[in-house]
Amino acid sequence: MSLPHRLECRGLAKRFGPVDAVTDLSFDVEPGRVTGFLGPNGSGKTTTLRMLLGLVRPDAGTALIGGRAYRDLAEPARTVGAALEDTGFHPARTGRDHLRVYAAMIGCPDDRVEAVLELTGIADAAHRRTDGYSTGMRRRLNLATALLGDPPVLVLDEPTNGLDPEGIAWLRRLLRGLAAESRTVLVASHVLSEAERLVDDVLVMHHGKLVAAGTLAAITGGDTLEHAFLQRIGALA
Amino acid sequence: MNRLVRAELRRLTSTPLWRWGPAAAVLSGGALTALCVLVGPERFDPPMPGVATEAGTRLVLSLIGMTVLVPALFGALAVTSEYRHRTIAHTFLFEPRRHRVLGAKLAAYTIAGAVYGLITAAAGAGALYGAAAAKGVAVGADPVTVAQVLAGLAAAQAVYAVIGVGLGALIQNQTATLLVLGAYLYMVEHALAIVPGFNLAYPLLPGGATAALTEASLMSEAAVEVTGAAAPLLPPLLGAAVLLAYALLASAAAVLAPMRRDVV
Repeated sequence: MSLPHRLECRGLAKRFGPVDAVTDLSFDVEPGRVTGFLGPNGSGKTTTLRMLLGLVRPDAGTALIGGRAYRDLAEPARTVGAALEDTGFHPARTGRDHLRVYAAMIGCPDDRVEAVLELTGIADAAHRRTDGYSTGMRRRLNLATALLGDPPVLVLDEPTNGLDPEGIAWLRRLLRGLAAESRTVLVASHVLSEAERLVDDVLVMHHGKLVAAGTLAAITGGDTLEHAFLQRIGALA
Repeated sequence: MNRLVRAELRRLTSTPLWRWGPAAAVLSGGALTALCVLVGPERFDPPMPGVATEAGTRLVLSLIGMTVLVPALFGALAVTSEYRHRTIAHTFLFEPRRHRVLGAKLAAYTIAGAVYGLITAAAGAGALYGAAAAKGVAVGADPVTVAQVLAGLAAAQAVYAVIGVGLGALIQNQTATLLVLGAYLYMVEHALAIVPGFNLAYPLLPGGATAALTEASLMSEAAVEVTGAAAPLLPPLLGAAVLLAYALLASAAAVLAPMRRDVV
C-alpha cells in the first residue's frame, strides 16, 4: 500500500439531459477516517462517485485522488478499490475466474485472488458461477474485486445492501480496520442507522448539492444521524 | 499491454462460450467443405466447375469465406457482453485509459481469430482431400494452391474477429450488434452483389475482398446468373489489402468509440 491519499472534489457538476444530477459540488475526504456519503435516492451520490472514478465525465470541476485525476494515476486499481453496484459479473463466469481476470489486468498473482476470497468470506462459493450468487455474495465479490490491488483508498456505494446482520457487522469491522491503517474510506449509503455506527465524517447530498459536511459529532449535535439528516434535507415537518 | 492481453484471453476462456469456437470452426471448414465436395459443384443450380478442376476446388473452398459471421460474432461479444453484463465499469476502473483496454481486446481477438482460422483451414483441408478420396475424384488444384487459399481464409477469419470487436465497440448493444452483423453479411452484402450498379462495389466490400483471396465467389456466380454479369474480383493481394484496411478501420472505431462515453 502506498502513502495515504486525500480525495478532493472542487466545483463538480454534471447534467443528464434536463436534469442537474450534481451542481457545484466541493468536498474533501481525509485518509485514516471512514466518511459517509449520505443522501436520498437520486441525490447525486452515485454520479459523484462515478465522476471521481473517471467513469462519468464532469461538465465542470475536478475530482482528484492524492492530487491526480483517476485516469492519471500510475496504478489506478492499486490506488483505489471501488465497489459500485451488485451487478458487474458475467453470469457464466465463476467468482474465482472473475477475480482472476481483473488480477491479470493489474499483474496480481493468483494467490492474491485466494486471499481476497478468504477475506471476504466467499472462498467456499468461488468455484460457482456468479448467476447463482445471492445479493450478499455479489456484494462480497464486488468488495473482493475492489480489494485485489490492496488499495489505500476504498470507494463503496451502498456496500451493506443485501448483507445479513452478521455480514454488516463484519463489513463494519473490516472498514474500521482499513481506516485504522490510514486508508481513505468513502462509503455512500442511505442506511442511516448503519452509517451512524460506521462513519467518522459525514457528507450529505440532496438534489445534487452538498447540504452538510463535517464530523459525525458536529453534524448530529448529540441527536441521531437520522434526525440530523432529515433536518438537513428539509424532510422534517 | 501484455497484462491486458493476458486478461482478455483469460476473460475469453473463462466462460463456456469459447468452447463452441473449435466446434464451429470444424463445422465451417470441415462439414461445409465435405458436403460441397460430396454433392459436387457440378450438381449445383446452375452447375459449376467440379472439384476435379482448379476453379471448382477454389469455389468449394471459397464457401468457407461465407462463414465469417462466427469469428465476427465472437469479436463483437468481446465488447458487447461487457456492456450487457455491466462488467465494463470494473474493466475501466482497472484500466481507465480505455484505448488500452480496447487495444488489448483487438490483440486478443486477433490471436483467437487466427487460431479459429487455422482450425477452419485444417478442417477444410482434411474435408477436401477426405471427401474427394471418398468420392473417387482427384482434387483439381495443386496442394500449394490449396494451402494458399486456406491460409488466406484463415487470415480472413482473424480480420472478421477484429471487425466484430470494432462494431461491438461502436454499437455496444449486444442484440443490435448481432443483428447488424447477420443482416449485413447475409442480406445486404448479397443483395449488393447482384443489384446492377451497386454490384460494381462488391469487390471492395468485405465479402468481395474475402472472395478475392480464393479467386472464386458464389455471389459473383449468382450475379452472373441473375444479371448476366459480375464485377471482377480484386487480385488476391489487393483483396488482402482491402480486408486489412477494414481491420484497421474497425480497430480505430474500437479504440475511439468508448473514449468519451459515460459509464452510468
